[in-house]
Amino acid sequence: MFNDTVLKEIEGIKAKYPDRRSALLPSLYIAQREFGWLSQEAMTCVARSLNLPEAVVRGTASFYSMYKHRPAGRHVIQLCTNISCMILGAERLVDFLETRYGVPANGTSGDGRFSLVIMECIGACGTAPAMLVNTDFYDNLSEKRIEEILENYK
Amino acid sequence: MITLTINEREITLDKPMSVLDAAKKAGIKIPTLCHHEALKPYGGCRLCVVEVERMPKLQNACTLMAADGMVVTTESEEISRTRRGILEFLLINHPLDCPYCDKAGECELQDLVNKYGPTTGRYTEEKRKVPESHKDHILARNMERCVVCTRCVRMCNDVQGASAINVIGRGNRSRVEPFSSESFNCEYCGNCLTVCPVGAILSRLYIHSFRPWQIDKEVETVCSYCGVGCSLVVQVRDESIKRVIPRMGSGVNRGLLCSRGRFGYEYIHSEDRLRTPLVRKNGTLQQATWSEALDVVAAKLSAVKNAEGGASIAGIASPRCTNEDNYVFQRFMRTACGTNNIDSLSRTGFAAAQKYFEGLLGQGITANLLDGLKNSETILVLGDDPAAVNPVLGLSIREAARRGADVIVIGYAKGLEKFHTLQVIPRVFREAEVIEEILTGVFSDRGVRGDMPYVDKGLRELSGRISGKKTGIEGIDETVKTLLKSASTSIVLGMDIVQRSDGHRALFAVAGLTYLLEARLYLLSGRPNEQGLIDTGCVPDMLPGGRPVNVPDFRGKFEAVWKASVPDSEGLTLMEIIEGARNRSIKALYVMGDNPVRNIPGGSIVKEALGALDFLVVQDIFLSETAEMADVVLPALGWTEKAGTYTNLERRIQLLRKAVETSSGMEDWRILSELSRKMGVPANYSESEDVMRELARVSPLHRDLTYEEIAAGDALWPYNGEPLRGEMYEVPAIVDAARDYNADFYLAVDKPLFHSGTLSRRSRALMKICPEAAVRMGEAGAARLGLKEGDRVRLSTSAGSCEAPVSIDGTIRDNRVFLSGNFPGSGVYDLMNFSIDTVTKAPGTEGCEVKIEKIEGRG
Repeated sequence: MFNDTVLKEIEGIKAKYPDRRSALLPSLYIAQREFGWLSQEAMTCVARSLNLPEAVVRGTASFYSMYKHRPAGRHVIQLCTNISCMILGAERLVDFLETRYGVPANGTSGDGRFSLVIMECIGACGTAPAMLVNTDFYDNLSEKRIEEILENYK
Repeated sequence: MITLTINEREITLDKPMSVLDAAKKAGIKIPTLCHHEALKPYGGCRLCVVEVERMPKLQNACTLMAADGMVVTTESEEISRTRRGILEFLLINHPLDCPYCDKAGECELQDLVNKYGPTTGRYTEEKRKVPESHKDHILARNMERCVVCTRCVRMCNDVQGASAINVIGRGNRSRVEPFSSESFNCEYCGNCLTVCPVGAILSRLYIHSFRPWQIDKEVETVCSYCGVGCSLVVQVRDESIKRVIPRMGSGVNRGLLCSRGRFGYEYIHSEDRLRTPLVRKNGTLQQATWSEALDVVAAKLSAVKNAEGGASIAGIASPRCTNEDNYVFQRFMRTACGTNNIDSLSRTGFAAAQKYFEGLLGQGITANLLDGLKNSETILVLGDDPAAVNPVLGLSIREAARRGADVIVIGYAKGLEKFHTLQVIPRVFREAEVIEEILTGVFSDRGVRGDMPYVDKGLRELSGRISGKKTGIEGIDETVKTLLKSASTSIVLGMDIVQRSDGHRALFAVAGLTYLLEARLYLLSGRPNEQGLIDTGCVPDMLPGGRPVNVPDFRGKFEAVWKASVPDSEGLTLMEIIEGARNRSIKALYVMGDNPVRNIPGGSIVKEALGALDFLVVQDIFLSETAEMADVVLPALGWTEKAGTYTNLERRIQLLRKAVETSSGMEDWRILSELSRKMGVPANYSESEDVMRELARVSPLHRDLTYEEIAAGDALWPYNGEPLRGEMYEVPAIVDAARDYNADFYLAVDKPLFHSGTLSRRSRALMKICPEAAVRMGEAGAARLGLKEGDRVRLSTSAGSCEAPVSIDGTIRDNRVFLSGNFPGSGVYDLMNFSIDTVTKAPGTEGCEVKIEKIEGRG
C-alpha cells in the first residue's frame, strides 16, 4: 500500500473533483512514479485509495499508451527519430545508446539504469536531434553531449 | 401521448421510450447486438440503424427517443447495406469457428450474419490471435470471438455491481478481461454468460458437452438455494441437468442469478446420492428394501409412542423441503406420532425472528415485496451481508444505492462495501445497544404512534432505561437523522444478531424501528423454504396457516380433516429437543432433510444428544453426518426430481417442477404418508398437488390456492386468507446480557457467497470456486500473529479445534474471526458452545473465545 505522504497527495487530488473517478488518471501517474510502472500491485493501490474496482482501474490505465505497462529503467530516455532528427543523425545516436549504455531501442539496459523509447516529434525540429530524459528536455544532441547529459542520471 | 409511424404503421405510446422499444411493442423486430433488455441503451454496435424522415443520416433506434409525428423505416436497401457493412467489419477478426464453438445455434452474431450477410469475406490480412483462456475454473474466455459489445462489462458494473471485468486495451486490441487477466476471482454470478451474444464467455461446467439444439427439455422452476426463490430454467438432456439459465425478465430475479443458483446444481447428480434405504443391523447401516425399512420405522415409532407417549418423540423438518413435504411431515408427527415437538434448524435464526416479529406486530409483517427495496429512500442493513446470504436481494440494495438511496450498514456487509453510504460499527457482539440507541433517537423525535399500545409502552420503557447512556459509537446520530427524513425505509435483517443469548433485545429494537418508521422489514433467509416451513406448521406452537395449536377451535378443524387427534400443548423448540434427547426425555427423533450435527452450534453436544436416542430416523438425499448416526436412513428425492412449492422470504409461493427422472428415492411427503398409513392414520395422496389441495382446504393462509394460480405467479401474500393479529400482548421482558468482549479473538459464523449448508459441498463447480473453509480475519489481528494470506493455523476453543488457511479481509475491523460450517471435517459449529435466548429460543453464538496458532512449515 502507499505510504501516508502519497495517500495524502491522492486525497488532495480527490478533493478537487466531485466524483472520485475523476482522480483516477492523476493517481495513476503517482502510482507510476512510486512503483516505476503500473504493475498489478500499483493498480491495486490506486483502486484501494480511490475505492474503485480494480478492473475499472486497469481498464482505464490500459487505454492510455503513455502509462508504463511494463517495468522500465530508472530513467526513461525518449529520443525522436522523425525527419529532422533523422537527417541530423538521430539513428546514429540510437546505435550509440545501445553500444555505450547497453540500452536497445524500446528496451531497457541490463543494469536497469535506462529505458529507451523511440518517439515521434517533440517539436524541436529547429534544434534537432532532441530527446527527453524523464521530463527534462535536451536538444542539439551529439554522442559527446549525450554522454555529458547522462552523467547526471545515475 | 406520442404517436409515431414505423414501417407505415401508426403506433401510439403512453410513455416515453426509444424507437427500438416502440417498434418492439408493435411487434416489429429491429436487429441489435450491443442492446440487451437488462442493460441501459448503449448505441455501440449500430446494427439497429433506422431511417427517420427529415433526419439526414441513419439513426440508432436504441438511443433515439420516439417523438410525436416521427416517421421511421426499419428495413431498406440502404439499411441492409449498412448492417452488412457493420457485420463484415465485426467478422474481420472473428475466427468463424462456428463448427467448434459452443454458442453456435444460439449465437446472435451467427443469426445476424445469416440474415444480413456478408456471405463471403474480402479480408485477406492476418487475423488478431488471442488464445482461449482456461485459467479460470468456471469461466472460459475466447477473445477472438468477442465483438466488444461490452454487454458483459455493463452487466458486471451496472447491474451486478461486482465490477470484476473491463475492456482492456483499445482499438482492435480491445478485449474483456478480469483484473488479474487470468482468474476472474469475482462473485461468479455468471450473469456475463447470460448476456454474451457470442461464444466469448462460456461456462466450463458444460463446455463442449452438448449443442443448444440437443436439449431434450427445458423446465421452468425455482432455485433450491436461498429464500429469494429465483426463477430459473433447467435444461436437461438424457435425464441429466446440462445447465441452469435464467429467463430474462421473469420471476423475482428478473433474469439475474447468483453463483449458487447458476453453478450449484451438480449435487443432484452426485455419486454420493443415497440409492436405497439403510437399516442399522449389528451396529452398521445396511441396505434394505423400502417395505423393510418403513416397517422398522413404523414399528419402532409406534412402540415408543405406546410405551413413553407421543411427547417422547420429536421431529426436525427442513427448510430445503417443499411446503408439501413439510405439511405432511407435521401432519405425520402430530397425528401418527402424537407430538407437537416439531421444529427445524430455522429456529437458529429465521423462525425465531419471524415468530417474534409476527407475535409483536402481527402476521405478515415480514411479507414485503422485493421490489420495495429498489424503491426505498433508506435501507438499514443489519446482521449479515445480504449480498452473500441472499445475493439477488443484495443486488436490489446495490440498485437502490445507485439510485441515490442511503444504505446504512450496522456491522459488516462485505458485498455492500462499495455501496453503503454509512457504516456504523458496534462493539463486538453488542449490536443490540446500537440499534436501541438508534431506536430511542427516532422515538424521541416521533413519539408514541398509538396503533399498538403495548409496543408504545415497550418503547417508553426502553427509552427510559437507556436515556442518557450513550455508547459514543460513531454514526448513530447521523443514522437517526437519515431515518427521520426518509419517506420510505426498508430494514434488512440478517440472522447473525439473532444468535445472541440476548438476541431478543436487537429484535425488539428492530421491531420498534419497523413500527415507528412504518418500514418494510426483510428477513434474510439462507434456505429456500424457511417461511413455507413455518406456514405449513413445522413449528411447535402453530398448526398450518399460523393457527395456535393450543386453541381448541382451531385444532378441532384440523382434527376433523385429518381424522385423528392432535396434542393440545405446545411442543419443544429445536434446542429444547436437543436438550431433551440429551437428558433422555426424548427417545425417538425423526429428521427430514437437514444435518443438525453440522448445522447447529455446539456440534459435539448435538452428537452426544443424538447418540443418546433410542431411535433416530433420517430422511435425506445424502448420507450426512446426521444420517451416519441414524438407525434407519430413507433416501428422498431432491430438487428437480419432484414437484412442489416453496414460499420465499417475501412470502410468495412458487412452483417447483420436476425436470429429471431418477430411480432412487421417494418424495419426502410420499415416504411420510406411507408411514402414516402404516401407523394407522391414512394420508392418501397420489401426487404433490393432492397435498396442496388438502393444505388449501385446512390452512387459512393457503385457502383455495391451486397449482395453476401459483404457476401464474399470483400466489402473493396474503393470498386468500385472513392473517391473525399479533399474539403477544406485551413486549417480553428484556434481558440485558451485555458485557465486554476483550479476548484476543472470538469465533463467528461465516456465511459465504459460494456455499450453503452442507449441500453445496457436493457441487463440483462451487467446490472449485471455494474449495476449503478459510478463517477470515482482519488485517490488524493477522499482523499481530504475523500471519500472511494462506498461512495455515490451528483454531482451538473450549469445544474443539480445527485447522484452516487464513484469508485476510480488510473490511473486518474487530476481533472476530469468521469460519464457515460448509465443509467436511470440522466447521465453525463444532467449535462453538451456545447459550439459549430465553425469549426467542435461538442459540446464542457470541463470546466464543478462540486461540489461533500458526502451523509452521506449511502454507
